[in-house]
Amino acid sequence: MKVSFNELQGLSRKAFIGIGFDDGDATDAADMVAWMEAHGLNGLAALGKSLDFLLNEDKSQPPKLIYQDADLCVVDAQNKTILGHASLAIELGYAKCRARGLSVTKIRHCHNRMLIVGYLSRIARRDMCVVAFWRNSHEPLTEILVSFKSGEAEPEICMYGLPSTPDDTEPNDGITLVMVNHVDLLPDLKPEAPANDLILQNRAAMLDWHERSLVDGIDVDTALWERLKVLATKMLVESSDDSRQGAGAGTTDND
Amino acid sequence: MISATSASAPHTNLRPASEVMKLERLGSMFASRLSFVRSLMRKMIKESWQVSNTVFDLDSKGHGLAIYRITTPGKYYECVIFSRDLAPDQRSDRVIAEAWDVTFALVEGEAESSLLEQMEANVPLQEAGRQHPRVLVLSRANKSLRNFSQFLEALASGRQPDPAWLTSVGYLYRTTAVYGNGKFGIADFARLERNPDFNRPFAAQMLAVYVLRQFSIEQLDHMARAQSPEQAVPLHRELQRYLGIGNSTGLGMAPFLINHPQLIQQWVYGRERALAYVRQEPANEQTHTSLRAFMARALKHLQQTVTEDTDQTLRNRETASSIEKVITWLDRTPVHIALYEELIDWAKEHCSLEAQELINTLLIELYPERVEAIDDELGCRESMDLKPDMKVRQLRDLIHDKFGWALNYSEECPDDNYWFWYRSVEKEEPRLGVRGTESGAEKEMALAIGPRISRCLVKLEEFIESNPNAIVVEFLMAHPGQKECVRRIQTMGETPYGEIRANLWHKDMKPMHLLRTKLSFFGASRFDPKSDRWVRITLFQGAPLPDELHNAQLPLHQLDDWGFPLEPELDGMDKGQTARSDRL
Repeated sequence: MKVSFNELQGLSRKAFIGIGFDDGDATDAADMVAWMEAHGLNGLAALGKSLDFLLNEDKSQPPKLIYQDADLCVVDAQNKTILGHASLAIELGYAKCRARGLSVTKIRHCHNRMLIVGYLSRIARRDMCVVAFWRNSHEPLTEILVSFKSGEAEPEICMYGLPSTPDDTEPNDGITLVMVNHVDLLPDLKPEAPANDLILQNRAAMLDWHERSLVDGIDVDTALWERLKVLATKMLVESSDDSRQGAGAGTTDND
Repeated sequence: MISATSASAPHTNLRPASEVMKLERLGSMFASRLSFVRSLMRKMIKESWQVSNTVFDLDSKGHGLAIYRITTPGKYYECVIFSRDLAPDQRSDRVIAEAWDVTFALVEGEAESSLLEQMEANVPLQEAGRQHPRVLVLSRANKSLRNFSQFLEALASGRQPDPAWLTSVGYLYRTTAVYGNGKFGIADFARLERNPDFNRPFAAQMLAVYVLRQFSIEQLDHMARAQSPEQAVPLHRELQRYLGIGNSTGLGMAPFLINHPQLIQQWVYGRERALAYVRQEPANEQTHTSLRAFMARALKHLQQTVTEDTDQTLRNRETASSIEKVITWLDRTPVHIALYEELIDWAKEHCSLEAQELINTLLIELYPERVEAIDDELGCRESMDLKPDMKVRQLRDLIHDKFGWALNYSEECPDDNYWFWYRSVEKEEPRLGVRGTESGAEKEMALAIGPRISRCLVKLEEFIESNPNAIVVEFLMAHPGQKECVRRIQTMGETPYGEIRANLWHKDMKPMHLLRTKLSFFGASRFDPKSDRWVRITLFQGAPLPDELHNAQLPLHQLDDWGFPLEPELDGMDKGQTARSDRL
């Protein structure tokens, strides 16, 4: 079925509140999902995959700050989704960059990492160059690099498989953010970079996709949509004769 | 599109937010020349928009399909209207209704056969349907049965209906929701904001309502002819012009006002800037005369306004009484340069709040050229961003400096916590419940900004005690639930007018003021409360008719001067035949 951007954003927000997110996190998470979907980056599919996990997650624990100095911070997301409080880790990196010109933020142990692109778009709009890097641990090992120019809401995204799995004892469930606010870091693939499974998505393609989303609407999976609707009803109050009076109007209005 | 804060340059004689943003004053505002219906009509006149009927396939009872084409300088649109029989017991103003007399939609371009087929299957279902992304506006309306039958009977028997009927209830149809911005699959506003025809707030919605007004006239004439082909007469043009479209609305206005503070800032700032510009102008004989004429018309309009609501009747009487005094004051006060300032100061001592705001509204009418540009500055791109590197002490100072109005709230005071706002499972209808008495408070909507800011400050003060040099993001990592509130404080702290200064939980809070705030910007007249949280109003009463929009004989200033419409006096109308006893 087709839905509008506003519908997708609105229902997602209600569903996140139904799941137990605070207002601010629900707003941010909905924006991230809707932004990704409207730009052809499969935000809804990512959300769909993680819904069961999200429902069982303890929402009360904020990310834990493990280390920070003036330029660097390391945050443990405690195996939670990036959709939740992890936006604060990004904001911490943003604050450090504003103070120092460059910051490095490492968010460890988080899920739904691709969805972070939706929040980074907001950071980039706030005149910040952002580069995000992470590895997916499944076979074959892949690296993902997302790069926003300062002031531009759409990134360049590069994803490639590595020819061989390095000896890596650390789990690949973190993400590294580099922010600079006076120059643009625009990493190019090296000429000898692996060409296998290479996926490149550029700004122009994302802008085209966004335009099509506005004109034609956004395709969503009906089953997922219905599931979000069910979650959204958790914030609604059961109706009764008394509560119907709470809207103040009669039930028939012939005049 | 203007960013939400960029247009907020200070102006020397802007009224302070502490005065303007009080809920009671906002709830005393009138439609003005900046209201969206007036602004739309001006644009349509200036650009000679054409509104013409292309399909009129109605049976003798007025049921069937009608399509109107709206042609602008660069594009065209169609308004598709489905009229159906409706059992009286199904006629409800509530959002929980499931059937209506007419359902309609405005589409971009032509409603070709495939789209029409899709619309026919979905538009009558409204919220329960899936609408096409080319639909810009989705709406529905119910008849005012008594007006409709009285008008039909009169026209079919060769008479004009009594204008007094339209003074009592100014319309044949009353809309009960007008949806835009992506609802139920229709086009997002993001698409419209690049379209010069509809990039002003609610412009597309208002156009759809305007077209429904024309349909109501043509449907009525058609039914009268069908009923009595030999005798029927068309509705007199004065009555066509005096006919508006009703709107019934309830608490749904409140979440919009609270959830779009940056937009509210633009609306109020636009109106206040217009007033500030006018106050700088030196009065002269001509403007003195014009102001008196506007006052006299507004007074008569108020005296003609009928409402069953006791409080509103009292308010209307107080306002009329105040305006009578204003007219006397104008008559005895010689023209001088600072006349407007003197009038405003005098009114603060001698006039009701509504009358004070009416004076401001009419002052703005005096200088159309000074305020014209503001029409295009009432929208904004909404975006609330955190300033994570702000010092926590700076945030505390910001709250005390800009949000002092929110800090009177007390957790312990029962009156401060009396109401809660929530959405019902029935079509998500917004409702108001009494905390501790009614169930559902645990699912309340976060609309009470004052208490939220007050609670945030308590947490912030505690945090500062042990972290005096911390920055905001560090506070939020300790209290992540405050993110939304802090982001709002930081964003709205830069603007004067976005926040309505009231505790929406307080026992004395009047939801009707919220409704009127928004409706005044829409351009509503004949404010007619049906309870403390439900109101009927009229839009476009007195507005030019479609064939007048491009009539070169009628100058813009004349066509644009349709605020505070008066009951027309028709030639040959026997006043003894009026049906005032049949008033609602």
